[in-house]
Amino acid sequence: MTQKNRKATELHKAAHLYARECRNGKLSRREFLTRATALGVAAPAAYGLLGLTGPAARAQTPQMGGTLRMQMDIKAQRDPRTWDWSELANVCRGWLEYMVSYERDGSIQPVLLESWEANEDATIFTLNVRPGVTWNNGDTFTASDVAHNIERWCDASVEGNSMAGRMSALSEDGKLREGAIEIVDDLTLRLHLSSPDIAIIVNMADYPAAVVHPSFTGDDPVGNPIGTGPYRPVSHEPGIGAVIERNPDHTWWNEGNGAWLDRIEFLDLGTDPSAWMAAAESGEIDLTYQTTGDFIDLFEMVGLPSSEAITASTLAVRFNQMQAPYDNVNVRRALQMAVDNAIVLELGYNDLGTVAENHHVCPIHPEYAEMDPPELDPAQARAMIEAEGLADHEFELISIDDNWQAATCDSVAAQIRAAGINIRRTILPGATFWNDWLNYPFSSTEWNMRPLGVQVLNLAYRSGVAWNEAGFANAEFDTLLDEANGIADADERRVVMLKIQQIMRDEGVLIQPYWRSLYRNARPNVLGAEMHPTFEVRYQHYGLS
Amino acid sequence: MLLFLARRIGVMLVTALCLTFVVFYLTNLPAKLETLAKTQAGSRISDAEVVSWLERNGYNQPMLLRYGEWLGAVPGWTREADDGSITGRCYRLASVTEPGAAPVRCGLIQGYWGNSTRFRADVANVISARLGATGMLMLWVLIVMVPMALLVGVLAGMREGSRTDRSLSTFAIASTATPEYVSGVVFIALFASSAVGLSPLLVSWGVIEGPVLFQGNARSALEKITFWNFFLPVMTIALYGMGYVARITRASMTEVMTQQYIRTARLKGVSFGNIVLRHALRNALIAPFTVIMLQIPWLLNGVVIVEVLFSYPGFGWVLFEAAANNDIELLLAASVVAVVVVLITQLVSDIGYVYLNPRIRIT
Repeated sequence: MTQKNRKATELHKAAHLYARECRNGKLSRREFLTRATALGVAAPAAYGLLGLTGPAARAQTPQMGGTLRMQMDIKAQRDPRTWDWSELANVCRGWLEYMVSYERDGSIQPVLLESWEANEDATIFTLNVRPGVTWNNGDTFTASDVAHNIERWCDASVEGNSMAGRMSALSEDGKLREGAIEIVDDLTLRLHLSSPDIAIIVNMADYPAAVVHPSFTGDDPVGNPIGTGPYRPVSHEPGIGAVIERNPDHTWWNEGNGAWLDRIEFLDLGTDPSAWMAAAESGEIDLTYQTTGDFIDLFEMVGLPSSEAITASTLAVRFNQMQAPYDNVNVRRALQMAVDNAIVLELGYNDLGTVAENHHVCPIHPEYAEMDPPELDPAQARAMIEAEGLADHEFELISIDDNWQAATCDSVAAQIRAAGINIRRTILPGATFWNDWLNYPFSSTEWNMRPLGVQVLNLAYRSGVAWNEAGFANAEFDTLLDEANGIADADERRVVMLKIQQIMRDEGVLIQPYWRSLYRNARPNVLGAEMHPTFEVRYQHYGLS
Repeated sequence: MLLFLARRIGVMLVTALCLTFVVFYLTNLPAKLETLAKTQAGSRISDAEVVSWLERNGYNQPMLLRYGEWLGAVPGWTREADDGSITGRCYRLASVTEPGAAPVRCGLIQGYWGNSTRFRADVANVISARLGATGMLMLWVLIVMVPMALLVGVLAGMREGSRTDRSLSTFAIASTATPEYVSGVVFIALFASSAVGLSPLLVSWGVIEGPVLFQGNARSALEKITFWNFFLPVMTIALYGMGYVARITRASMTEVMTQQYIRTARLKGVSFGNIVLRHALRNALIAPFTVIMLQIPWLLNGVVIVEVLFSYPGFGWVLFEAAANNDIELLLAASVVAVVVVLITQLVSDIGYVYLNPRIRIT
């Protein structure tokens, strides 16, 4: 390799650029941290660029020991790369760690990697593996373990492997591209991307990217708990609960900075929040996994204060463009035009978030480009529907029976109805809904947040990708997205992003009413367990005071 | 007697066979299998992946053939992998991969209950653990419900139309007219909330130490049953069943109390207490006995609401989970268990009749 490495102390050029933008108020501090750390700038250095010191690690150090009981769904386990629920990952976080982690403040922190750096055009990434990490079976964690995991992620032949899409810049024909990974020595490797991808490191923080031992095969990370973390599972019963305890036979690389608790008990109390409430009242749980709606206040009332995470999570009320009448852009635009997103936020989600603009890029995303709010004109909407000859057509909006999702869709449908367009609401129970949810002509999908704006667009709206239930296919959009994926510079990317957002809007891809804030309620003596924007439950850092 | 037993068991087998086939048919409709594949391999998998998953897991054969596999009448499916190892229904159930290591047939007849897809565990283990939990709940419900119901029924029925009768009847009708999902929620609000109901009052008086009187969540009863965590679920079910049994007992008691032999006994000067306890009670218990026996299968399947409300994972809860996730083999096993329990309780009640009423004979 002749590529000139930047020294570890040398900061990526773009990072300085970001810092200037942040100081000029063009970039929020949160956005700055996400972007700068994704380029390999350590978080303290990133704070330093702004002339700030990093936030104090912990106001209060938790005491050693204790048992924490948390309400969370426990589902049957499967191969980590095929995980489709954050809960599946959360149970295993005590022993399966990640290369990097996405923090509440929006920064990317090293975990099993010690540092990483990108070349100028984000096509070559050098990863430095953290020295002194051992697996709990005694093996040393090395660069070849990292390579093994990346190879696993690239294997698209495994049904439901969602990491394959995230690693597309490293793969070819559904598996790792020859020469994509170069192992330099035991603690260093280099990734050669086929196209620039600024999200490659951030993707390694996503929950299916848990790092497993080379001996791991099959479907059960709980039955065979070899990992690098400080905990180990004691029991795991889907639908009932799981118990995790500190592993006494293993020295954790990060000893002294966590693993405070002796034991974590997850209780699966079903989906009814009133059952969680009863459990909290009788002292059977210390914290909830996620609280929504009226229950946030109710839990506070009984002595469990809430913590909030501002996120780019949302509900996408999407049309499926493959199916009539939604294959007609005027119909989609008309329905969008009939809906006031602010009202949906208020009635559908108790105003617990911020209004969104129908293009699925969030103001907290680094590359978000400011736009006028979407057009709102119910009379025009009605006229457009009539012009398409659909005045008597009955539209149907299908949603799952989940509380806030149903309320949101109710509110969308009510406004469409108020504009004088016939619409029927159908609410299906989970068992029926999931059967055919990708094919409903007009329905809603819950989207969790991704740190960068391009990430969700890559996953959900690129032509023909697996998660594109909107059926959106637009060559210009794809080209622009490819371009944006390779632009590390914020302003430059924002220029492209504006075009992308405009296409999303013009094509009437979805009604996207709001960005959700997430809440969790915990007893006052629980430390470090604030709600995380991507639902992470890193219980190795939780503790009791 | 033996002939009677044999006939009963025969009926049981035929019923179980019919019921399981209906359940099997309904859970194996193509759309249901698709749901299963999606819950198992990821909700975002493509149609092609669904087909390949179904094929790899033996769901692509004709329905009757697979029903036979489940019964153990037909050899289980097998497939050779590229590396020479063999997978198949019986290989998975016995967790072996060497060719020939697994039995040819592995169904109910051979003692294999199958695997639960929802819980990724042996169905026999799942069912037995959950049946045990519901068993404890049922036991305590019966201990509370039966004496209470009989007492109320007998007291109300021994003097028809009296003030005792009217007030106890009103109570019984009210309790049986309140479904569990109403009484359960009322109980939680009344006894298990630190903001409303009795608990804040009791706390301010210093009567109780904790924030609530009773626990509104029975999860901890899985490990250790205490008066405080089991009271509300038990009372919720017991009150509902109690009113019903009490009404039957009362009706039966009033009828017995008008019989000639009771009047004769009274005329002979036997005390009222003696008449009720020695002469009327045994005859009055025949009808309630059947009803109590019928309550047992009802308890087994009818506790779904209470178990979900109080997050107590028992048999009703497992049935709910299995149905919601289209867990085929778990649902089949649950049906078998339900049939067996219904018929056994009926058997016990038929035999019990003979002892309560010597005029009835089993032939």
